[in-house]
Amino acid sequence: MRVPLIAGLMLCTLPLTAAAQQPGDTRAQISALRFPPLRFSPPTPKRVTLSNGVPVYLLEDHSLPLFDVEVVSKVGVANLPDSLWGVGWQADNLMRTGGTLTLSPDSVDQLIEFYALNVFISTGNEQSNASFSGLSRYRDQMLDLGFDLLQHPRNDSSRVRITADQQLEAWRRRNDQPGSVLGRAWNQVMLGDHPLGRTQVTPVEVAGFTPARFRWTQQRIFCPQNLLIGISGDFDERSLLAKLERLLRGWPACAAGLRPVPPLTITRGPRLILIEKDVNQTNIRMGHAGSLKVANSPEYFAAQVADFLLGGGGGFNSRLLARVRSDSGFAYGVFSNWGADTKREGVFFAGAQIRAEKTVAGLALMQRVIGSMASEPVSARDVQLARDNEVNGFVFQFQNAGQIVQRQLNYAIQGLPANWFDVYLKGIQAVTPDQVTAVSRSYLHPDRLVTLVVGKSATFDKSLATLGSVTVMPVDSIHR
Amino acid sequence: MRCVVWAVVLGLVAPARAPAQEPSPGERLPVTKHVLPNGMTFLLLRREGAPTASFVTHFRAGGVDEWTGISGTAHLFEHMLFKGTTTVGTTNIAAEQALFPVIDAVADSFTAEFRKGGGTDSTRLAALRDRLKQLEDSARRFDVSNELDRILTENGAQNLNASTANDLTNYFFQLPANRVRLWFILESDRIRHPVLREFYSEREVVMEERRLRVETQPGGLLREEFLQAAFRAHPYGRPVVGVASEIQAVTRRSAEEYFHRFYGPNNAVVAIVGDIDVDTLAAWADHYFGDIPAGEPHRPVVTQEPPQRGERRIDVEFDANPQVLIGYHVPNAQHADAPALEILAAVLTGGRTSRLYQRLVIRNRIATSIFSFQTPGQLYPRLFTFSAVPIAPHTTQEIEAAVYEELATLAATPPTAAELERVRNQVQAGAIERLQDNFGVAFQLSRSEALWYDWRQTFRDDAAELRVTGADVQRVARSYFSRSNRTVATLVRPAAADTTGRSR
Repeated sequence: MRVPLIAGLMLCTLPLTAAAQQPGDTRAQISALRFPPLRFSPPTPKRVTLSNGVPVYLLEDHSLPLFDVEVVSKVGVANLPDSLWGVGWQADNLMRTGGTLTLSPDSVDQLIEFYALNVFISTGNEQSNASFSGLSRYRDQMLDLGFDLLQHPRNDSSRVRITADQQLEAWRRRNDQPGSVLGRAWNQVMLGDHPLGRTQVTPVEVAGFTPARFRWTQQRIFCPQNLLIGISGDFDERSLLAKLERLLRGWPACAAGLRPVPPLTITRGPRLILIEKDVNQTNIRMGHAGSLKVANSPEYFAAQVADFLLGGGGGFNSRLLARVRSDSGFAYGVFSNWGADTKREGVFFAGAQIRAEKTVAGLALMQRVIGSMASEPVSARDVQLARDNEVNGFVFQFQNAGQIVQRQLNYAIQGLPANWFDVYLKGIQAVTPDQVTAVSRSYLHPDRLVTLVVGKSATFDKSLATLGSVTVMPVDSIHR
Repeated sequence: MRCVVWAVVLGLVAPARAPAQEPSPGERLPVTKHVLPNGMTFLLLRREGAPTASFVTHFRAGGVDEWTGISGTAHLFEHMLFKGTTTVGTTNIAAEQALFPVIDAVADSFTAEFRKGGGTDSTRLAALRDRLKQLEDSARRFDVSNELDRILTENGAQNLNASTANDLTNYFFQLPANRVRLWFILESDRIRHPVLREFYSEREVVMEERRLRVETQPGGLLREEFLQAAFRAHPYGRPVVGVASEIQAVTRRSAEEYFHRFYGPNNAVVAIVGDIDVDTLAAWADHYFGDIPAGEPHRPVVTQEPPQRGERRIDVEFDANPQVLIGYHVPNAQHADAPALEILAAVLTGGRTSRLYQRLVIRNRIATSIFSFQTPGQLYPRLFTFSAVPIAPHTTQEIEAAVYEELATLAATPPTAAELERVRNQVQAGAIERLQDNFGVAFQLSRSEALWYDWRQTFRDDAAELRVTGADVQRVARSYFSRSNRTVATLVRPAAADTTGRSR
């Protein structure tokens, strides 16, 4: 991929004469176009290791006086003991709002807003993040404050109380929107109460919020052995590294107490579940175990192409959008997601919001379209579409220094090689239509779908029971 | 160390600040403005970086330009521009278009039946709807469905989409820099020869979009009803997505009429930003778009909202927990008071240190959030709106009382120097941060030129906000935030519903 940068020259190389055709022959004009190859060699971040072992990815970009720091931790809330899940889920909020040992919560807010800094901290299930950005002339303030928040969170009890009240209110509002009911119920049905399926703190967990418990989780998630740092923008490498060394010196090593994420058991179908909600549009999700991990394997790349063509990125030319939306007018939104991660098999699912009076017709159509990936072979042209989109659009993955650094952090966190993007692009280019059909036959099972329906069954076109045995799930049985 | 930092916060050491008259950084962008004889405007900006190009086109056409009975047409037409042209999207345009009058006749019968209101024969209506579907399906044998999308996708296009607002409609995507010629070919075809194929099935899609965004969403429904209550004359009171009954009756003919009235090249502003050769693109602009005849110039809406004579309060029933919108009529975004209103918003609700956030969220723990924004457009007088979500058992009335009290305080005493300093620093940082992303810059240039016939105007607004004084904020606090100028919309549960906060 490292080739000379001549992209800027090529526009002029296209002759104007190619356009001297009559309007009306748009296709002819397009097929007459010859695009020179896009030669582009994106900059590579420099990787250095601080004396306490924390890797730092650096990429200078002085085009604007801006500065951005990303801190990633390779652990998250699912690594905490189960009893601390809710505390961990809000530990980010308390790090941002709860002050530090030397700065009151109000002082932190005033510093951030006076210097117009952007400070975000997020404890996710398997990875956690913090980012600080703003004008580069406030670089020192940003770094001082950012690493103070990460190393010395105060978790002031006044802010713990605010967070508790807000989480209880979120709990009261959890069923106000159909999408929220669907998403939470889906996680419960598919993953049980596994931490990877949790997105909502319960009142019992809120009752366990204390400054000490927040501190316990924060110290284990954000500690040197778990961290990677990415820095982009307007800075000078030498003085920056010296500053980082000073700021991170004395940050205690990670204490024991975390666990590996427990093994995941994905519910097997077929199952058909109805949650009653008085709305004039039906929220639908259907899926099953995805059976694949991210890997440099033909099957993984073929599944990526299959998902693109089914409904995960192929736009209006994906089968779900073409058939459920464009052809039938049943829905505005319809999609698939054959998500895979590096650690374990994920869940394949498709979803839509369908007109209530077309609920059963729409469900049946979605099942057929999923099945069509195995029964109606994709064309070479379709596979070419997916490949061309990735290959021709690769440059959008390298648009600015921040994006380039972020990608390297993600690869490192996920255990992927630094050149994963090249590997991925090659893998996608090698996919054949037969491989897409074969991977769909092996892993997509329209007869084994778990299907969840949120809507008002009295307004459906037919009884859901025409599709199979229906389990009614009361909305209050969604535990979180 | 931290004490030094603190001294800055207290205003003892002022950070570097631009002199008040200095232009905002965006004003200095080396944009080439290239206007064709037919009035179509191109804003071309070459920037160093990855070889990409971002394209954003705004048309001076939006929801406010619709006439009575066709609400939602601007938005439905925006969907239709993805359906192709006389060449893209079809195998036999003559045969395809020969079917349109037949389809439209059935659509007219459907509309006639639908119009009967209470007297509608629902069986006949359903039969006509099925017939419409059959006929439109039969026309599909000549379609190459979604061909425009396919051409762009295979060429690596990103973020292909469009959006319709009250004042403007925009269309956008990004291409690798070696393929910019495609935009010229496809877009010149699309605004010359659009074909509104699959029109009636797309009408159904738009109804589902309405249900997704409004009818099944408590916040979306509350906002729609709020605007309808506040605007009785001006079309800002009408939902851009359309009134449900009107969406169901929009015809292909009215969408075509809308297109012919508002999509002339003189109403189009294109911004292209990225790794481009400006001279080449200007030449291509002439070549591909130069011979399109100019259309009618855009004429602003004549209707002015009459002064509000007394507070308006509405309840909106939905099976969900309460929230509230409080709106005051204020002038449009280029009025002399607009910068001061922006600063007032930042003082009251801009961040955790703002007055209302401090009071409602941090000190009293009455609300989970408080925001303010001006809606639903920029071109015409609009609403300065507060949006808040209470924490039970606290009520929206308690939030209202706090908002009114803080507004009165600001009317009595100007904001402090420290508050103004903070807000100005935020404006200055924002003036640079908004230039980071080429796609974002293309949106800003194109929108500003389309609204104000001046791409720099949006950046001048930053400079104008830096010049706002405490007295200015106090003056606008006194001018606009009276009780009689206020509309309050509250989301409440239907009387019969469970009120304990549990879902039924």
